[in-house]
Amino acid sequence: MANPADKPDPNLTTRDEGEVREEELEDIEEEEDDYEGEDDNDEATASKPQTREDAAASRANAQNLFRRMGVAPVPVRVHDVIVKGNEKTKDHVIEAEVEGVRQATTLQELLEAANVANFNLRALDIFDSVKITLDAGPPELPDTTNVVVKVVESQSPLAAEIVTSTKSQARSSTLEGSLKYKNIFGHGDIWDSSLAYGCDNSGEVGLGLYLPRLRGRPTPFTSRLYLSTQDWLKFSSYRERALGVSLGVLLSKNHELGYTLAWRNLIDPTQMASRTIRRQIGHSLVSDLKYTFKVDERNSSLRPTRGYSFVSTSQIGGLVPDSRTLRFLRQEIDLKYAVPLGFYRSALNFGVSGGITFPWGSGYKSRGSSVSERFFLGGNISPVCSLGGPSALWGFKTRGLGPNEPRREVEDDKSGDTYERDFVGGDVAVTAFADLSFDFPLRWFRERGIHGHVFACAGNIAELSGNKYRNFTAPKFLETFRSTVGAGIVLPTSLFRMELNYCHIVKKQEHDRAKSGFFMTFSTPSS
Amino acid sequence: MEGDQDTSDFTLVTRKPCFGLPTACPNCLPAYIYLKLAQLPFQLAFNSTFPDSEELPYFESGTYVAYNNEDGGVIEKLKKDGIVNLDSQLQSLPDYLSLKALIVSWLDEALTYEIWVGTEGVCASKIYYSDLPWVIGKVLFYKQTYLTKNRLGLTKENAEQREKLIYKRASEAYEALSTRLGEQKFLFEDRPSSLDAFFLSHMLFTIQVLPETSVLRRKLLEHSNLVRYAERLKSEFLEESSSSPSPPLHSFPSSFSGKGSKPKNKPKAEKSEEEKKIKKRARFFLAAQFLAVVIYVSVMGGGSSDEVEYEDDD
Repeated sequence: MANPADKPDPNLTTRDEGEVREEELEDIEEEEDDYEGEDDNDEATASKPQTREDAAASRANAQNLFRRMGVAPVPVRVHDVIVKGNEKTKDHVIEAEVEGVRQATTLQELLEAANVANFNLRALDIFDSVKITLDAGPPELPDTTNVVVKVVESQSPLAAEIVTSTKSQARSSTLEGSLKYKNIFGHGDIWDSSLAYGCDNSGEVGLGLYLPRLRGRPTPFTSRLYLSTQDWLKFSSYRERALGVSLGVLLSKNHELGYTLAWRNLIDPTQMASRTIRRQIGHSLVSDLKYTFKVDERNSSLRPTRGYSFVSTSQIGGLVPDSRTLRFLRQEIDLKYAVPLGFYRSALNFGVSGGITFPWGSGYKSRGSSVSERFFLGGNISPVCSLGGPSALWGFKTRGLGPNEPRREVEDDKSGDTYERDFVGGDVAVTAFADLSFDFPLRWFRERGIHGHVFACAGNIAELSGNKYRNFTAPKFLETFRSTVGAGIVLPTSLFRMELNYCHIVKKQEHDRAKSGFFMTFSTPSS
Repeated sequence: MEGDQDTSDFTLVTRKPCFGLPTACPNCLPAYIYLKLAQLPFQLAFNSTFPDSEELPYFESGTYVAYNNEDGGVIEKLKKDGIVNLDSQLQSLPDYLSLKALIVSWLDEALTYEIWVGTEGVCASKIYYSDLPWVIGKVLFYKQTYLTKNRLGLTKENAEQREKLIYKRASEAYEALSTRLGEQKFLFEDRPSSLDAFFLSHMLFTIQVLPETSVLRRKLLEHSNLVRYAERLKSEFLEESSSSPSPPLHSFPSSFSGKGSKPKNKPKAEKSEEEKKIKKRARFFLAAQFLAVVIYVSVMGGGSSDEVEYEDDD
């Protein structure tokens, strides 16, 4: 079974270059003599040489060409890009994805560009098959070629899928089922309706639109209308509901810009909340702009053994003239690095994450930050896999550490007065971890990707807003750091990575929800 | 990292102040007045983002919280939990229940009608939604207006009849309370009770918040002893805590409109008009006096000269 942890690189062929060249060569052989165009209906019939002598001559020419390619670049110029098979999809959508082939000046470059274009077209997810072939150019123009793109559009525009992911907002693993309607208007548009459920009792129903290009620019555009619920009653005595619309533009491979406008409502149906949460209950309008810079050069997001990743997320809320919208600033940074050690496929993973949030506007120093924008640490996600800001810490339960307050006092008939505590989150959080992963000696485990790891992590969280920055000092923050060490087994599956760990809590503070013992985590590729 | 556990910190959380009242919400004001009548020191905190909550007002002290949607209301809960009870030995009186029913049902219904229907929600927008973003405020306002009309049993067919019934009951309630009160300081004996809190809240809201065109307000102002009662209690128990002292309730009845800032500005405007009138009259008087003197001098001065000439001829 192939290791699902390996992440495919779309820009590199997954096979040997020689195999690629031979396959492309077969395409060239088939099309080399077809100067008048090919038969659209039956490609195999049209490309079949007429006589055995012609076939032998074609093969000899092709072998000569292959030899020339192996020695030096073979100059070639793309004369035309011909698109076939698209009845609904607009030509410009396909041509935009294969634009790179026009810049090729050698046959080698052309083959590589064609490979990339093939992947890009498949990635649109609106075709059943994509085939790019090289046809000879007009006879009066030597050393030219026509690139023929033949696509077969999806017979059924409806598609259903179930995926697991880790959404950065939910901060937990999410199971999402969606129904997609593809390419309604022929622009590569994908409309979807989805239902998602998270491990943290969160739910979301939404309608989305994905466009591969926005106004001709190579920037994928997503928009989403959603209604979400996050149930934090058990940890913080509030439930959050949001109705909103989010827009996202992938400016380039590393840069993403997003905007969210949402009506958010915090309620406490149990009426047991602590003082800070009681003050936060109510309606708010969120209008925030988010910029994400992401570089992930790790070889795998579920078992990285080499490479690094860096994510920086900046958010500013309240960018409307109405001063009654939620005004806040938020910054998160996450850096991870994996170093291979060379034996039993072992690797040392380091990571450090930090985040800070603060209100802005009049009275910003004394105003408390919104609990929805605060940081919370703990949960059933592995720090190795979580990407984008401090959230995970082995050994600590969901929202299990940090500032907390007593809940409302209620008389218990059985044991007199009983009350628990709400974790209200913090405005600044820092986490760090080190993880050594290694294969087991037994082949059975190696074949299935099951491996072991030992780890250590530390983290802390503190409040700054609401005039609490006056009580914040760096020595006190360092002094109250929580830390954990442990070891465990990692079981990767096609949907998620499961860890079964034994965690020993080295240091914790009063009221933290953590204890030494066995702990399971479920992690999915971050989205 | 620990939460506040100061058990002596009494806090009442209400909706925000407006119209010259410490809290402009008619559901929150009775609790505020009740604590003031009990002379219990407390702090006031505000929640302006949850207009559709039934939990407000709530009273908290450390980890103790008394929500308004529990045990019959925050006042009842404070009585039941022994925090403050002004109604001890009053609840057994026969008048107590009937007056309470009158205030919390007929008058409350009339006030609700006047806020959301009678005045077309102008006051409600300012009280409940002015601190929310426009979109959210509008949606919640329309939602609450719809729910209120349902609760009051209003339909297009019976709107007029219901209105008449509501105002009629309010008039009868005012009449009964006016008769019951007379010139007493409080509704019961010489001690404040929760009914004084409810009734005073109703009166202050009706007079200070509702516009002059309000039918309910007009009906209330017909009972001068009720107005004097409200003013007396307001100046004795509430005045020291209000940040902007409002003018006496009965002095300038025409000056109270929908906005709390207007009562301060209108007396100034009237004063300047009176001054103008006086000055104008004074000018007329002076002009008339001057004219009289001129006429007198001119007439009398001509007569004396003739007499002198006649004497010279003899």
